[in-house]
Amino acid sequence: MRSPGWNLWIQRGLRSLRSFAALRRLRMTTSRRRPYRKIAAVIHFYHVTKRFDQYSTALHDVTFHIEKGEFVFLTGASGAGKSTLLKLILRQMQPTDGQVVVNGRNLKAMKRSQLPFFRREIGMVFQDFKLIERMTVFENLSFILTVLGVPPREHKKRAYSALRAVSLHHKLNAYPLQLSGGEQQRIAIARALINDPLVIVADEPTGNLDPDLTQEIIKIFAEANLRGSTVLIATHDRELIEQSGRRVITLDHGRITDEKVAVPQRAPRVESIFGIGG
Amino acid sequence: MPSRDDALPKTTLSYFFREAIRRMWVSKRTSFVAVAMIAISLFIVGAFLLVAENLGRAVAQAGGKSRVNIYLDVDATPQQIAAVDAWLAAHHDFAGRRFVSKEVALARFRQYFANLSDVVGQLDENPFPASFECEIAPAVAQSPAFANISTELRSIAGVDEVQYDWEWVEKLKKLINLVNIAGLVAGGLLAIAAAFTIANVIRLTMLLYREEIDIMRLVGATERMIRGPFLIEGVLQGFIGAAVSIALLLAAFLSGRHFLAPRNSLLWGFLFNGFLPWRKLAALIAGGMLAGLLGSWLSVRESGEERA
Repeated sequence: MRSPGWNLWIQRGLRSLRSFAALRRLRMTTSRRRPYRKIAAVIHFYHVTKRFDQYSTALHDVTFHIEKGEFVFLTGASGAGKSTLLKLILRQMQPTDGQVVVNGRNLKAMKRSQLPFFRREIGMVFQDFKLIERMTVFENLSFILTVLGVPPREHKKRAYSALRAVSLHHKLNAYPLQLSGGEQQRIAIARALINDPLVIVADEPTGNLDPDLTQEIIKIFAEANLRGSTVLIATHDRELIEQSGRRVITLDHGRITDEKVAVPQRAPRVESIFGIGG
Repeated sequence: MPSRDDALPKTTLSYFFREAIRRMWVSKRTSFVAVAMIAISLFIVGAFLLVAENLGRAVAQAGGKSRVNIYLDVDATPQQIAAVDAWLAAHHDFAGRRFVSKEVALARFRQYFANLSDVVGQLDENPFPASFECEIAPAVAQSPAFANISTELRSIAGVDEVQYDWEWVEKLKKLINLVNIAGLVAGGLLAIAAAFTIANVIRLTMLLYREEIDIMRLVGATERMIRGPFLIEGVLQGFIGAAVSIALLLAAFLSGRHFLAPRNSLLWGFLFNGFLPWRKLAALIAGGMLAGLLGSWLSVRESGEERA
């Protein structure tokens, strides 16, 4: 009789083979020089499992694809694995099993030296904002532009226009700790959008905001989506999701339990906003 | 659309310097410790270099001449002195000779060692012997045959001692080597200690900025971009430390020359002849910057990259 350990290994092997076959199919459709430009989907998860230790599995055999230009919500209760999934997209961590491909790059195979350049293609809005407290709002944005190699003479103009988009252009010289949680959230969004990234990933971007500001923020994401960015937002705001009319991926205890397009049940709170996004 | 250009942005270097200076300013106390360590180390190295440099100058001055001093007995009679003079006159190698009487010898001592002149004044009689100073061609003086001549000279009645300049020149050269080695060993050890101090200071700064470094990584800053300011910080600390050490050394040199050594004394000639040449000053600065770079490199290397 086979032991459960062998069974686990065989299952894992089969999953890897499936991931490999899927990757081969993907590779055949991509250009060698700049693969991420030609592929249709921008985020692929192939049988991804993330295990921290033998008692704690954050994601279990997760497979999904997000196409270029899509606007997707990721939802689930606290501890469902939303943040882990987003961290895998940004390659803050590596999957235990399976493959993650973002913008045509297999993150498991990507060289460490390529990681910064990959991350510059992603606009990430963190749940805890991750603003540099000792820097003013302008310096927080200017730093990103320095990283991206934008000449300093353009920093002020671009920072101002990014802040104008989140209606905080008058806070250019304020420090993050002088701002409210909602304002800090909007600065974090401005920072994520400053470079028109290919993919925007946001972890609970409306968690600290009142309903009016939530509308405002979702409108900003919808506009970025309209400009061509693919948007993935992790949230547990059920009302927002249900009224969005967008695709929703639901996680529960690390597994995808539902994947559907939300149908607004009543006059949507953000109807006009998503009218922009299509 | 984002750039995939792998090269560092043009503005990066100015960013490195701005950040390094700002971080040093924010962590003034720890930066001060690092700068002080470098300054102390290089001051000691510099002091050894300065002594060796001045001794070297004394050797160089003496190297062009070969002087033979023939010291006469303290109680040599005028006849004996005349006999020695006649002997020297018969040998054309000693053509350039000069007689130094006991009185002249005493006057010279008083001039060279002004602070000891009182001691001499308390003596009942002049203790200095008369002598002949002979300028001899270096080739002749250092030839093997000259040893026989000096032996013959010593055998003449009234001659007490025959001394050659190159004997003390050789001794001085050995002393210079010793000073150089001692300076390098002491300075090297201190420079390593200073580098480790800088490493710890940079490590502390990196801990202080750990959260910021994480954010920088998440928004796409390269390791070069993250580590650059820390490396520059170490180099700047080394540079400032070296500059401070040179300033202290110059101050000590000038005060020493002003307060310790009266002009024309032997001490002046040996130790306060001149300051370090620019090449050695540049080497001190480079040494400081190198120690700073080594220290900061050690800490940023240890800090590692993201564990993704």
